[in-house]
Amino acid sequence: MTLYMVQRCLFDHLRRLEAAGDGPKPDIVTDGYTLTDEERRAVTEPDIGAIYAMGAHPVIINGFCRALGYKRADYRPLLEQSGAVPARRKTRWQKS
Amino acid sequence: MAEIVMAYSASHAPMMTADPGSAPREKAENFFGALEKVRDRAKETGVQAIVMMTGEHLTNFFLDGLPQIAIGLDEEHLGPPEVWLQVPKKMVPSDAGLAAHITEKLIEQGHQPALSHGMKIDHGFMTVYYWLDNTMELPMVPIVVNCTTPPLMTTRQFYDFGVAIGNAIRSYDGLERVGLVAGGGLSHFVGEPRVGDIDEEFDRWFLERLGKGDLDEILDMPNDELAEAGNGTGEIRAWVALAGAMHGAPGHVLAYEAVYEWINGMGVVLYDGDQAAAQA
Repeated sequence: MTLYMVQRCLFDHLRRLEAAGDGPKPDIVTDGYTLTDEERRAVTEPDIGAIYAMGAHPVIINGFCRALGYKRADYRPLLEQSGAVPARRKTRWQKS
Repeated sequence: MAEIVMAYSASHAPMMTADPGSAPREKAENFFGALEKVRDRAKETGVQAIVMMTGEHLTNFFLDGLPQIAIGLDEEHLGPPEVWLQVPKKMVPSDAGLAAHITEKLIEQGHQPALSHGMKIDHGFMTVYYWLDNTMELPMVPIVVNCTTPPLMTTRQFYDFGVAIGNAIRSYDGLERVGLVAGGGLSHFVGEPRVGDIDEEFDRWFLERLGKGDLDEILDMPNDELAEAGNGTGEIRAWVALAGAMHGAPGHVLAYEAVYEWINGMGVVLYDGDQAAAQA
């Protein structure tokens, strides 16, 4: 439905995990969030590349990947292969 | 009236307290050595309270209501929420009178910070603050600024905001010696395809300009260009605000290390306090 709902769903999940502490980790909940089938698939599968391509906030992606137990080396390729890597531009501090 | 007796900006990578030994020893020693110099300066100057600005990490606010700037107004604030940070959880004292005064004076100067009660002070504050005072008794007024969720304030707007913060602190008559601290940056990439990269070229370019007090290019830099140095690098907005509060004076670059194990360019810049700056 909206990117906001995807992010709300993930953010609330991260807060529930935080509240659970060392106890059993709750599964992600999608009921109550207005999500398309593709959005629901992306958050439950989960499909990190798709979540990134939707435009989810990087702090949420970072937290979600960490909660999944991913190391940087695990999820960087998922983001690189998302098909949504932005083009780079020349900057004033680049010497070369 | 209060004097800003010391001011500094420092990186706040969570790993600097969560797992400091993961960095190469020489790099860690250089960075932490700079923070020790800052701590010595705080003792020499007899700082009574600090005002600290750092990026909001969706710790206090979410996308349903995210201010560009928010000031913690309570007598004390709980930190850190991150249990893995290896910093003890504590209600850190603030100075509510100073916080209220800053808020009022910012509004008089044309800025509109959000008013926040119950603000939690996460790694953005606690990593740097814990190195400044590991008893966590030094009062700290927390200010969070939006550095990661567009549309963002520009560096020039943050410089102007910093000028107003400096004016506000200096017009407070409840304290004599206040410190100003900025946490965040330098370059880092979070939750995006370049995660783990550090833009050393940007970091050195930025620090060189702070060291010279030559800020024109920094203040002219549009947001989309700054974003090229990393989506976490926007936290240097707090450093730019601090430079504004110190009238754009040259800072002393005490350390810079690209610590890939902490996925962060790590730097410290210390400014002379008001009296020393006036004598220079």
